[in-house]
Amino acid sequence: MATSGWAHADSGRAGELLRRLARLSRAARTGIAFAAFGAGGVFFALLVIPALRCLPGSPREREFRCQRLVHLWFRAFVRFMQGLGIHRVETHGAEHLRAPGQLVVANHPTLLDVVMLVAQMPQADCVVKRAAWSNPFMRSVVKAAGYVPNDLGEGLIEACAERLDAGRTLLFFPEGTRSPERGLGPFQRGAAHVALRSGRPILPVFIHCDPPTLKRGQPWYDVPERRFELRIEVGDPIAPAPGAGAGRGAEARRLTAALRGFYEQRLRAVEGAPGARAGAARPAGLDGRPAGD
Amino acid sequence: MRSKGEILEWVRGVLRREFQFRDEELLPTTRLAEDLDLDSIDAIDIAVRMEEELGVELLESDLKSLRTLEDVVEFVHGRSA
Repeated sequence: MATSGWAHADSGRAGELLRRLARLSRAARTGIAFAAFGAGGVFFALLVIPALRCLPGSPREREFRCQRLVHLWFRAFVRFMQGLGIHRVETHGAEHLRAPGQLVVANHPTLLDVVMLVAQMPQADCVVKRAAWSNPFMRSVVKAAGYVPNDLGEGLIEACAERLDAGRTLLFFPEGTRSPERGLGPFQRGAAHVALRSGRPILPVFIHCDPPTLKRGQPWYDVPERRFELRIEVGDPIAPAPGAGAGRGAEARRLTAALRGFYEQRLRAVEGAPGARAGAARPAGLDGRPAGD
Repeated sequence: MRSKGEILEWVRGVLRREFQFRDEELLPTTRLAEDLDLDSIDAIDIAVRMEEELGVELLESDLKSLRTLEDVVEFVHGRSA
C-alpha cells in the first residue's frame, strides 16, 4: 500500500513538473511573439510608413493603404501566434465587419483583441487614445492610417459621422480601455452619439477570451494554464431610435444602455456555458463614466 | 437679474428635459460628473442652452470649476451680475 502511495505521489510530482514546463514553454513562446510584434512595429514605423508616404494618391487612398497594411501585418501576427500554439480564434459573422460604412463597437477583454479584430477588417478607422499620438512607435502609424483620437468631444462626433457618410468603417471600444478583471468597464457614450448623429446602427462585436489573459495590469509573461481561445462574435445591429422630445443626452444614454445590455447578455450566456471560467459574471458598473488605464 | 433660486430651477429644467433626470436627483449638491454622469458632450449641450436662453457664455476652461449644480448656479449668477 505504501509503495502505491509513493508511486501516486511521484506521478503527482511529475504531473506538476510537466504543467510547470508547459507553462514555461508557453511563456517563452509568448515572449517570442511579443518580440516579433515589437520588431514588426519598429520596422513598420521606420521603413514601411516613410515608404508609403512616397507613393502617390489622395489622403484617403494613402490612409486606406496604410490601414490595409496594418490589417495584413496583424493577420500575419495572429497566424504566427496560432502557429506557436498560443491561442485559437473563433469568429462568427466576421464578414459583416468587411462591409463599408459600419459603426463597429467592441468590448476589450484583452490586449490582443484589437489585433484580432483589425486582422478581420481591411479598412477600419480606429478611435484610439490620444496617448498614441505621443508614443514614438505608434505616432507614425496612427497618423498615416488616419485614426481618430478619442478626446475630441463634439469634434469626434462630427468627424466620425462624416467618415461614416463617406463609407468608411469606424471601430470604437466604448470602455476606452481594457475591461476590468471581471465584467465590463464603464461605457463612454461617443459611439452612441455618432450613431444618433449619422442615423446609422451600431454593429456590436462581442469578444470573449477564455482563459482570460493580457488583461489590464497583467504582464505578458503571466500566461494562462492552457492555450487561450478568443471568440469574436458579430451581433445584430442596434439601431438608434430617437424618442419624441428627448434631448440627445438622454438618447445617447438609452442607446448606450441597450449596447451594454447586449454585452451583459452575451457575457452571461458564455460564462454560464460548460467549460467557461467559473464565477466571472458580475453585475456591471455604472454606465458612461470615462475610465483611465 | 435672475435670483439664484430661478437659476437653479432653470438648470434643473434643462437637466430634466435634455437628460430626463428626476427632480429628486437634482439637488444643489448633486455632482455633475460623479452623480449625473455628464460628459464633455453633455456639457456642450448645456452650454448652448445657457447661451441661448440666459445669454451667459460657458467656455471649456470654465467647466473644470463646475462640480455641482450649486457651482453652475453661482457661475451663472456671477456672470449675470
